[in-house]
Amino acid sequence: MPTKTPRTTDMRSRGEPALWSLGGALAIGIIMIIGFLILVLWNGIVTFVPKPIAIVTELDGTVTAGEPFRAETFKPAPDMLAALPAEWQAKISANDGYAHRTLYRIGNFDLYGEDFRWVSDFSISKTEYREEMVFVERLEWGPFVGTIKSFTVDGVEHAFTSPRDPVFENVHEVSRDRWRKIADIEHDEIGAINYDLERGRLDVRKIELESGKQSPEYIAAQKSLESQSLALQRDYDAYAKQVQEMRSKNALNTLTLVEVGGRETTIEFSELVRAYAANDLSVLQSVAVYFSRWWEFLSDEPREANTEGGVFPAIFGTAAMTLLMVVAVTPFGVITALYLREYAAQGRLVSFVRISVNNLAGVPSIVYGVFGLGFFAYVLGGSIDALFYAEHLPNPTFGTGGLMWASLTLALLTVPVVIVATEEALAAVPRSMREGSLACGASKWQTIRYIVLPRAMPGIMTGVILAMARGAGEVAPLMLVGVVKLAPELPIDGFFPFVHLERSFMHLGFHIYDVGFQSRNAEAGKPMVFVTTMLLIALIATMNTTAIVIRNRLKRKFSGSQF
Amino acid sequence: MTTARSVIVADKVADWTIRIGGIGVIVAVFGIMAFLAQVVVPLFTGAASGDMTATTSVVREHPPLMNTVDEYKALAVSVDKTGEVHAFHVKTGTRLTAPSFDLEGKPLTAFTRTLNGRDVAFGFADGTLRLGALKVGGAVTGADVMPPGLTQLGESDFTDGRSIYTHVAGNQIRRVSVDIEIEDAQKIAPEGVAITAIDYRLGGTLERPTKSFVTVDAAGVARLSRTESRTNMLTGQTTTTLTSSELPGLPPGVPVYDVLMTDKADQVYVVDRNGVIYRYDTRNFSQPALAERAELLPDGVTVGAVRFLIGEQSLVVAGSDGSVNVYFRLQTPGSPTGDGFTLTRAHTLEPHDAGVVAMDASQRGKMFVTADAEGHIWLRHSTSEQVLLKLAPPRLPVQYSALSFAPRENGIVAMTDNGDAYAWDIEAPHPETTLTTIFGKVWYEGYPEPSYTWQSSSGTDAFEPKFSLIPLIFGTIKATVYSLLFAIPIALGAAIYTSEFVHYKVRSVVKPTMELMASLPSVVLGFIAALILAPIVETWIAAVLLAFVVVPAGLFFSAYIWQLLPGPVALRLGGVPKFSLMFVAVFVFGYAAYLAGPAFESLFFAGDLKAWANGNIGSSMPVTVLLIFPFVFMGVYIASEGYVTGVFGSILRGPNRVHAGLTDMARWLVTLVISGVLSSTGAYILIALGLDPRGGIVDTYMQRNTLIVGFAMGFAVIPIIYTIAEDALNSVPEHLRAASLGCGATPWQTAVSVILPTAMSGVFSAIMVGMGRAVGETMIVVMAAGNTPLLDWNIFNGLRALSANIAVELPEAVRDSTLYRMLFLAALTLFIITFVVNTFAEVVRQRFRKRAAQL
Repeated sequence: MPTKTPRTTDMRSRGEPALWSLGGALAIGIIMIIGFLILVLWNGIVTFVPKPIAIVTELDGTVTAGEPFRAETFKPAPDMLAALPAEWQAKISANDGYAHRTLYRIGNFDLYGEDFRWVSDFSISKTEYREEMVFVERLEWGPFVGTIKSFTVDGVEHAFTSPRDPVFENVHEVSRDRWRKIADIEHDEIGAINYDLERGRLDVRKIELESGKQSPEYIAAQKSLESQSLALQRDYDAYAKQVQEMRSKNALNTLTLVEVGGRETTIEFSELVRAYAANDLSVLQSVAVYFSRWWEFLSDEPREANTEGGVFPAIFGTAAMTLLMVVAVTPFGVITALYLREYAAQGRLVSFVRISVNNLAGVPSIVYGVFGLGFFAYVLGGSIDALFYAEHLPNPTFGTGGLMWASLTLALLTVPVVIVATEEALAAVPRSMREGSLACGASKWQTIRYIVLPRAMPGIMTGVILAMARGAGEVAPLMLVGVVKLAPELPIDGFFPFVHLERSFMHLGFHIYDVGFQSRNAEAGKPMVFVTTMLLIALIATMNTTAIVIRNRLKRKFSGSQF
Repeated sequence: MTTARSVIVADKVADWTIRIGGIGVIVAVFGIMAFLAQVVVPLFTGAASGDMTATTSVVREHPPLMNTVDEYKALAVSVDKTGEVHAFHVKTGTRLTAPSFDLEGKPLTAFTRTLNGRDVAFGFADGTLRLGALKVGGAVTGADVMPPGLTQLGESDFTDGRSIYTHVAGNQIRRVSVDIEIEDAQKIAPEGVAITAIDYRLGGTLERPTKSFVTVDAAGVARLSRTESRTNMLTGQTTTTLTSSELPGLPPGVPVYDVLMTDKADQVYVVDRNGVIYRYDTRNFSQPALAERAELLPDGVTVGAVRFLIGEQSLVVAGSDGSVNVYFRLQTPGSPTGDGFTLTRAHTLEPHDAGVVAMDASQRGKMFVTADAEGHIWLRHSTSEQVLLKLAPPRLPVQYSALSFAPRENGIVAMTDNGDAYAWDIEAPHPETTLTTIFGKVWYEGYPEPSYTWQSSSGTDAFEPKFSLIPLIFGTIKATVYSLLFAIPIALGAAIYTSEFVHYKVRSVVKPTMELMASLPSVVLGFIAALILAPIVETWIAAVLLAFVVVPAGLFFSAYIWQLLPGPVALRLGGVPKFSLMFVAVFVFGYAAYLAGPAFESLFFAGDLKAWANGNIGSSMPVTVLLIFPFVFMGVYIASEGYVTGVFGSILRGPNRVHAGLTDMARWLVTLVISGVLSSTGAYILIALGLDPRGGIVDTYMQRNTLIVGFAMGFAVIPIIYTIAEDALNSVPEHLRAASLGCGATPWQTAVSVILPTAMSGVFSAIMVGMGRAVGETMIVVMAAGNTPLLDWNIFNGLRALSANIAVELPEAVRDSTLYRMLFLAALTLFIITFVVNTFAEVVRQRFRKRAAQL
């Protein structure tokens, strides 16, 4: 019998199981990233959707009213299980010991002392959605869930019908306007007075340091400060009176809220951010609430220990820091790349520089933070304070973390990104163009300035944008060099010198850490963190996409331009 | 025609700027390292002594009993046995007048003082005792002009003959002076029996102050006494009552050297001249009990000095042989003593050449000074066991009788028998750190044995900060190891698959998607991991663990199913559909793991994983089987390879694909069964040998644990390893691939035998870079790791990494404090680790590039 040549190869040589493991690894990686993005996007998008208010009556008679916040399957503890009716015990043990429960956002922290309550499925006797339930967002104490009993306009009591009652809407608007005006006066006018007072005191202190306490200059300055203070005090009194008048007017516009258990509380209209009948909203109204919440988030300042309100100062701080970082990082990165590509002879020194660049890229960001704090803030900043801001001492001006030091620290951190991208861009400029330029008699710098750099510019831009994306996402070093949970002032304002590089600032990334981990109730902050996360990721993704688009355009523009 | 001058200048300027800027990168890297090192160095420099001032004959008639110096080192004071107080200005030695204790001419036989030198007690030959206070202190006066008629002392101090005035910051004036108080005599011992030793402590409340004291009289009787003052609300009269009880068990005729008592008056130590300590438990005031008798010095050696350090946990015993040892009162199981505590020698310090004659301890830390009979003064630190400073005798011979350590640990004042005084300025900012304390085991107060501990702050004054970097370095290593265990298989598998097995169009979608992961800010990863993932994993922990088994096994299973497909079908579906099926497989088996989780938990973990992990219930056997199974399987597979090829070779090759596929699947199943049996046996043996995974890599479950960290860190590390490894694999020249495939090798054989070996150095460098990232990652570990500095490999427990520690503690650290410098050392350590790893990776990568170019 002749031996037959096998028709198929050995199955083992195909390594199919191994292949599936490799492919599975790739699949897991992709599922991880996609799943992560979906999780963040979904939670970020639905956060501001107005949810219905459920009123749950439990078997023991407890009534809970609130937004269903999230639900989970959990394992009841043995003692909890033992206390349940036999029917439920059987059901739970049939389900391998797991039960289901829902977390309700019950609000009313001032009355209950908690914002959230778990209700297990097995303890519910009935759930209803009453139309009169109102979700009230307040400036203090978080949201209120319940009904509105009545409200007063200029001290006159009105019966409450609906949050869309024109009288109600009108008085709300008037009170809020007044409230905003008060805030403006306190911030701008009274802020200016305080600023002038402090300025005057520092000027006098400066004169004292320069010419001593007994000098005639000092005495004169002291005198003029006193008269200036008097004038300012008069201004202040006038503003304070104005504020007081508006406050007392606002105190006449109140509304009385009733929680589901019947307890009442009264707030001023000026403290009311928004009220809507959660179970009686048309689609259009829902959309309106949704977008007004988004607008509040993007344009307002945070309140309630950052767990509510907006993140405008954090957006502003992130942007200011990133832009300042770009100003610092671009020249340094481009110069180093030029050195590596155009000036240095390839040799030991260059490979040293390359190793250094790689090390700069690989050093943990927190180490930069430590360096930034120790060197920039304490050593450099300390010297600047001693030289130029002696009158402020012992309060540090530049001698502590601040916008400038944060930007410089991040510039150090991101410089390798710019170097690598610029190098690539420089390498893509054909040699023939340089030679042509030099042959025409241009100097080396002229060649670089007029021929090489313009061609490499999109590549450099790519590098800078990538650096921005990297910088905007870093938090660890910033915690050491100037980010704070709540900055009283923006780094740019109307007071001389307008840009305050020494000020500490807020940052989106740190906001996530702070709200998620440092706040009173992590649960209450979670929706806010998700939205902030989405915003930060969107910001970074936009920057990265822009960089990629520019890079692709550059490739297309210069491909085939070799001659 | 010449070149315009401006062009030449511009060219030169650009030339120099760019050259300097280029070199600037090197400067930056080494500058950072040098700066960090410069901040760290003072941790190891010990102490420095500055100026010494000598003042002769401060006290003329009698040797000083004690001396003390104020907080600002302006005024030093000594007391002699007539009760006379001598004061002098430290910097110039100018004598000042000071009020003296009026001892009414009674001969003094015993004297004591508290650690801060403020409270003193005198015992007399007639058996009476007087308590007093010696207040040397400064007060800042509101005035901004010096009172008139002062004489200047030295550079900046003024005096009116009694007090010292100094300008201080904020245009204010500080006045330092001496003030004394002395109470009436109290009868303690029988008439005519002299008191030979005393110690006392103040206690009680402001309304009802109590003074506890312990005395030993010439007859050898030790008494514990307490006075309590009560003010009558109505009459305003204060009545003081004195109660005493005798300490039992003191052998008659013991030559008592000194008595000591603790702050709460719950312990009394009677020390005899030969170094025998009688320790009394005095928690019950009326019935004190002898708890322990301990001989702390060898025969023939007498006590030179004995003192508590601050916190009264450490007892320093110095001998006439120059030895200086520190004893802790430790709770030891099975201790023969009355109260379960034993005095244990914790630190043996470098001995003096001559006997110790005087000692004083710091009021803030564990530093103390000792003086020997030859006039050497040594500054020591108890915990770090180092001698920080050795001060040579200013003249010979010199016999010190009193020594004091300035309250701010910045000076030493020593007085000799004949009344001369010597004052040194010293500086010992970081006495507690040496290389040994940072990287070795240290025996801290209250600890049963030397340990590696990081604990930088606490609520109480007597707290001693514990700076061992070992738990933090361990935490970093633990986080890195577990996250790489998770990340490397996924990243490398994905990289190989992307580079070798997918169409380039798929690749151009897949690769950027994976790289997108790298741009996720780590604060976001940490937040999701800690607040979203951790609670879910806690509930579904069994399912999560099961997924680590089921998903790979399921992928294998799917592969064997796939092999059953007829050749043409398999070929047609080989591209994107097959890849999509892999996604389906991951989903299906992931979901299966979720469904089977509870069953798995009851089968393997006795129904409750957390209780099981604590070691309370169930057996380790099933899990051990599971842990060693992959290794046994590999072993069996490789061992059977030759046999299978020989015997089943022809079956595996044909006659048709379906048949071959079935055979291969059967072979897999048989291998599974065999390895299952083998690993069960193996697990049985391992457990019999005492190698239980519980207590090792699995133990008590915490919500924020290393599993979560490993997973979140995967997001940070996977894209880095993936990108670099994929680039390396992809840059293997195409002709190698073509040649291998042309010779008849399958894509799998090409990938494993040709591409991977060629790109190995690049892949290795990818892992190194990924490791560098994991080592330094901060926000994820801060948020998801729980931040407890522990030394165990338990995957269910948290950790505290170097980076997280810096982020958490540096914002609170005072500039230039020990903690500040320690955190800089942590940063330097991180810098050096990543520097070594990255430099190594870069060198390997450069070599790989060169080799790839040569191929």
